[in-house]
Amino acid sequence: MSRTLVDSVYIPPETSSFDTMIIWRTISVLFVFGSWEIAGRIPISIAFPTFFETMTALFEMIMDGRLAHAYFETLKPLLVGVGISAGFGVLIGTSMGLYRSVQWLGEPIFIVMQAAPMAALIPLVTFVYGIGLAAKVCAVVILAAPIIVLNSYKAVTNANVSLIQMCASFQGSRVQQIIRVIIPDASPMIFAGLRLGVAAGFIGVILAELLITPTGIGDLITYHRSVAEYADMYAAIFSIILFAAVTIGLLEKAEIAYFRPERKKKKGS
Amino acid sequence: MFIRSKMTLLCASAALALGVAMSSGASKAAEMGSMHIAFGDIPGADMLGFMIAAKRAESRGVKLKISFLQSEDLASQAIVSGQADIGVGTPYALIQKVKAPIRMFYQLSKLAFFPIVNTEKYKGWKDLDGQPMYTHARGSGTEAIMNLMAMKNNIKYSAMSYVPGSAVRAGAMLQGRIDATIVDAERRTLLMREGKGKFALLPLPKIDASDEALYANTEFMEKNEEAINILLEELVLTWREINKNPGYVSKARAEYNLLPDMPASDAEGIDPYYAEAVETKIFDDNGGGEKAILGDFEFYDFAGTIKGDTSKLTVEEFWNLAPLNKALDKLGRM
Repeated sequence: MSRTLVDSVYIPPETSSFDTMIIWRTISVLFVFGSWEIAGRIPISIAFPTFFETMTALFEMIMDGRLAHAYFETLKPLLVGVGISAGFGVLIGTSMGLYRSVQWLGEPIFIVMQAAPMAALIPLVTFVYGIGLAAKVCAVVILAAPIIVLNSYKAVTNANVSLIQMCASFQGSRVQQIIRVIIPDASPMIFAGLRLGVAAGFIGVILAELLITPTGIGDLITYHRSVAEYADMYAAIFSIILFAAVTIGLLEKAEIAYFRPERKKKKGS
Repeated sequence: MFIRSKMTLLCASAALALGVAMSSGASKAAEMGSMHIAFGDIPGADMLGFMIAAKRAESRGVKLKISFLQSEDLASQAIVSGQADIGVGTPYALIQKVKAPIRMFYQLSKLAFFPIVNTEKYKGWKDLDGQPMYTHARGSGTEAIMNLMAMKNNIKYSAMSYVPGSAVRAGAMLQGRIDATIVDAERRTLLMREGKGKFALLPLPKIDASDEALYANTEFMEKNEEAINILLEELVLTWREINKNPGYVSKARAEYNLLPDMPASDAEGIDPYYAEAVETKIFDDNGGGEKAILGDFEFYDFAGTIKGDTSKLTVEEFWNLAPLNKALDKLGRM
């Protein structure tokens, strides 16, 4: 393709943008894994295995069922914690956006919760909830709930005023305004908050498994570190990063498909 | 005039060069005798013995810095990466599995843990059949002891749960969240005192394995032979002093102003802790030696820390006993 002075700014043809994206993403992944393999072969530390060793350990952990068992343990507090945070979080956040008194009551609490360093609260959590499932669920809720609540609150606060006025002008009741206008208009941002809340939940559950009692993926990391089986340790870390990234990616896709069709259209064009 | 000023300049340069050379020599001498020790735990009464020996070594010119890290694994990684010089723990797995260039050289203490139960629920080992058990971590000494006792008593726990830290497990016992666990000597005393007859200890045979040992990078040991010899001599002397008179720890703590922020209630526990430690013979007068290492092989093989045929393992693969033997040659063996 020849260029002229007029079209000096090169715009790639849109039909090949998807292929180009795949190529660059593949190169990016290969670059990271290649660097990992080289760093492990140097080695940068005797405790740093190569990418190949880590993947071999990951394969072994999948085949002998250790990874499945660990995820079964890790997902319990994660699902319960995210479920509680999502249910109560959306309800509280929406109420904060709708009613000034709830906003005054809740906003300082959730802003402080969001800013508080989670690890510092672990002793308090274990003192109140002990060392079992309840403590881990609490750790997930502490991290996930503020994001979900504050996002829901902001989403409702920023609902389109013109639409609300239009509903009022058509004699819509307050309940109709909320159910038919405010909630649908706020739903993309509420769902974005849920996605971020799930990401925070992953951080919470792993922190809890490392700092309270080692179970699930936290146990695999702690145990293999203590017996110097570093390939297994990195395999467990790699798996949870991959699992979290895939989950968040799928949630983002669902968000685009159901709540932000304009972004889907843009991506597809 | 010109020649005189030139001579003055020359003399000044020579003096400056001599000064720089002397100061670099002095700093090198100071460096030769310095070491950074990494503990994988928070400071407590159990570390006082080592701290006293360190102060005594300091008075003989060895410069010491002690850091407290969150876990033994972090401490061992700090040693391997050269961020600290001497670690405290039993890094058998690290040496065997990743061929870490480190060797242990002094046994600080033997394993001393105590199985304890809530008497409202259990009376003896047999009652623990089909019941949940709580230990420090997977692959830890506490888990190995409890599994060993389950095997000896022909019982099986319903589940093995991991609760890191004797203090946390003791707290859970006091709150009634768990009814059977294994704790260290300090928390055993606490539970027996606070439980007011509610808790009882289960009988345990003598387990001869290292709980804490000093280890260092082999290169560091070669380069700092003199400083290590001084530290070992002071450790042996301090350990012998404690074994003779456990009250020595409290006196030396006051003399060297060690752990000044320790609460009075904890400080009251120092004498009973060391008296009990001496009674259970966890401090060896001769720093462990080969006999202790063979006990370690057997125990850590059972714990799953060491892999393979233990009869084929050699002491030299894991320990460097030369500095300890040198210190014992000087001080005499007991």
